[in-house]
Amino acid sequence: MQQLAGSVRAGDLPLAGCRVIERSRSVAAAYAGRLLAAMGAEVTMLEPEGGSPLRQAAPLLPDGESGLFAYLAVGKRSQVCDLANDSGRRQLDEALSKTDIFIDDTPVKERDALDLTAESVARRHPHLIHVSVLPFGASGPKADWEGEEVNLIHASGEGYLLPNGLTAERFPDRPPLKIYGHFANYQGGAMAVLSALSAWWAAPTVGGQYVDVSVQDAALAVGCFALQRLGDGSLEHRNTRSFRYGGVFETRTGHIELLTLEDRQWASLVELLGHPEWSQDPALMDPLERSRRGAEINQHIREWMAQHDADDVVQRAQKLGVPVGKYRLPEEVFHGEQERARNLFAPATLSNGKEAEILLAPFQFHLSPLQGGGRVPAVGEHGGMES
Amino acid sequence: MTTSGAPLAGVRIADFTIHAAGPFCTHLLSQLGAECIKIESSTRLDAFRKPHAVYGRMTAATFDQVSANKLSVRLNLKQPEAIALARKLVAISDIAAESFRPGVVKRLGLDFESLQQVKHDIVMLSLSSCGQTGPDSGFAGYAPLFGAWGGLGAMSGYSDGPPVEMRHVMDHSAGLHAALATVAALNQRRRSGQAQYVDLAAREVASAMIGDALVLASQGVPPERPGNSSPDMAPHGVYATARPDRWLTLAIRDDAQWASFLEVLGVQNEDSRFHTASGRLAHRVQLDEKVEAWLAARNADETAEQLQQAGVSAHVSWDMEDVAGDPHLQARGAVVPVSGPGIPERMVVGAPSRFSETTNVGIRRLTPALGQDEDYVFGELLQLSSAQRRDLEAREVIC
Repeated sequence: MQQLAGSVRAGDLPLAGCRVIERSRSVAAAYAGRLLAAMGAEVTMLEPEGGSPLRQAAPLLPDGESGLFAYLAVGKRSQVCDLANDSGRRQLDEALSKTDIFIDDTPVKERDALDLTAESVARRHPHLIHVSVLPFGASGPKADWEGEEVNLIHASGEGYLLPNGLTAERFPDRPPLKIYGHFANYQGGAMAVLSALSAWWAAPTVGGQYVDVSVQDAALAVGCFALQRLGDGSLEHRNTRSFRYGGVFETRTGHIELLTLEDRQWASLVELLGHPEWSQDPALMDPLERSRRGAEINQHIREWMAQHDADDVVQRAQKLGVPVGKYRLPEEVFHGEQERARNLFAPATLSNGKEAEILLAPFQFHLSPLQGGGRVPAVGEHGGMES
Repeated sequence: MTTSGAPLAGVRIADFTIHAAGPFCTHLLSQLGAECIKIESSTRLDAFRKPHAVYGRMTAATFDQVSANKLSVRLNLKQPEAIALARKLVAISDIAAESFRPGVVKRLGLDFESLQQVKHDIVMLSLSSCGQTGPDSGFAGYAPLFGAWGGLGAMSGYSDGPPVEMRHVMDHSAGLHAALATVAALNQRRRSGQAQYVDLAAREVASAMIGDALVLASQGVPPERPGNSSPDMAPHGVYATARPDRWLTLAIRDDAQWASFLEVLGVQNEDSRFHTASGRLAHRVQLDEKVEAWLAARNADETAEQLQQAGVSAHVSWDMEDVAGDPHLQARGAVVPVSGPGIPERMVVGAPSRFSETTNVGIRRLTPALGQDEDYVFGELLQLSSAQRRDLEAREVIC
């Protein structure tokens, strides 16, 4: 239904009328603003003279434009605001008086000098949803700690648990491996949005409030099952938490993922494999026995996969109800039939003037399809705060 | 259970979600104060109520994070009368959430159009592998498949190795994104008075995690898989220390941090290649060899503390015992102790964030027993008499 986007008025978008001010140097805060902008909020980045440091962040396009910044900033407005002087602070206050949500990742130790403490902002703007997004949050013994993505994915416990399966098997002595990009920061940004919109929902009852979001907390929240396992008496480790059978397999034309959790899926897998002799052992009808003999099962599956093509395996498996998916490269995702059918990407103009297509949002609102698009703004494209 | 003083107090969810991603969404909303009624059945138990052998759990879970805080009622959705009761529940709810394979709710008569008939302004969430539309919409999948389809799996991994499987974080990231979209729809409903249908594809959440690489792909530039290294920072990565499997993560942004790093380690760098950030990036392999040698005999925990005191981004690679015992996470309520009948005290994930005014956020009750809240839900909310409920149980509508 996203294809109807062109016929929808901006006023129909989920967050139409919501005004957001964003001060971001972290991916977490910028992603929060990006999600809000995608849902129709008017999001204005306040950048220092010279622009956000994210404008230089990898990965870069050949002309030096940041692919990361383009992804995070498309559809936002940019104004220059220097809080080091009084006029900048006056400009900010004027903007916040007309703002619903303020997203800020200023380090705690710098807030006093900039008049950005929770108390100070609440006194001046009691109606405001003021969302602090920091690596370790704004309170607690580590509130002042520095944290980049690699630190935060490991501070949440997930970093220690990766890689699993085939990668862990092939490289058992290598260090743990982070997830690509900014996974923990994205969770922090998403949690900031969930919290901001929940506080906004409560605003008619309680007015504005301050919300303290931590990237570490958010990354831990999505990793809650590992903590649950600890409570069950099992301290997980990347070399032992692999699926007992299934996982990553190499075919003739790339890697696929196979995972069967239900008995019916196992039966369908056996059918996909052509009912080989080893699979006819009656003991393998028992899922617990399959779990115990996982390594042996995987060896058989590996031999079979090595003789087949990935796309063919996926199509046949899914028809039979066996959960199998291909490990796709970004260019395959970008050109993917499914993604195109769902209009996952929207046309946009990069700050270098080139046309691009940028992922719109990982959700759809069927009754008011998101529009996406827009520009990656140049620094201060929308003026100073007073303009 | 009272949720007054919580941001989503007064919001009610009819929760048909199963497994991990959907239930995590509604669990988050319940932590934020929504009353979440989990509709389940002994005829098709949810994953946590039975062994999970592939994952190595040979019994049902005693504590299940994603069903905590929820009320449980039984409805056998294979029975038309159960569907009618489910629709009555939706009629008194703000949100209906489901995570069946696309097409199932239509077959059951619980699809958006049907639910709108009983609740004109319902916010409905459907969370699925590939979304409700498109040629792959019928595909079945779990977290590692979302990562594979979405491109996150292929972009993660050693540069010379196979792709990496995403695990439950991928499910729950999908749930987190579903939760924020659902609350956006609630806010929209307040303004418009209209219903909304939120359609979340978990594989698209995986793609959102590589949104930067997809910008490059749109320009015909093949993105690189960086492993633990960063194109912006060196040294950057995960380094061995004196204790086996006690790794130190390190990310040095600029010359000032580099100078602080050397000072904390008490080492002199005489290699001119490493004097500038660009030089360190250009010779990152040789630099890593040096850093590995410097850190090899050090205590990871003490070094991380010292580096942080000097303003350097460092942290030990923590296992879950570290997480459970961390005073910082405990002070924030991000991990909290829980205990109950048959459940010795254990640490679980608590409040997702901290609110200055609506402070009643977090875990209020543990995993419900199957059907434990039927007196309240069927008796009080739906006004079913005891005799009616007994009859429905006898005919396996409630079971």
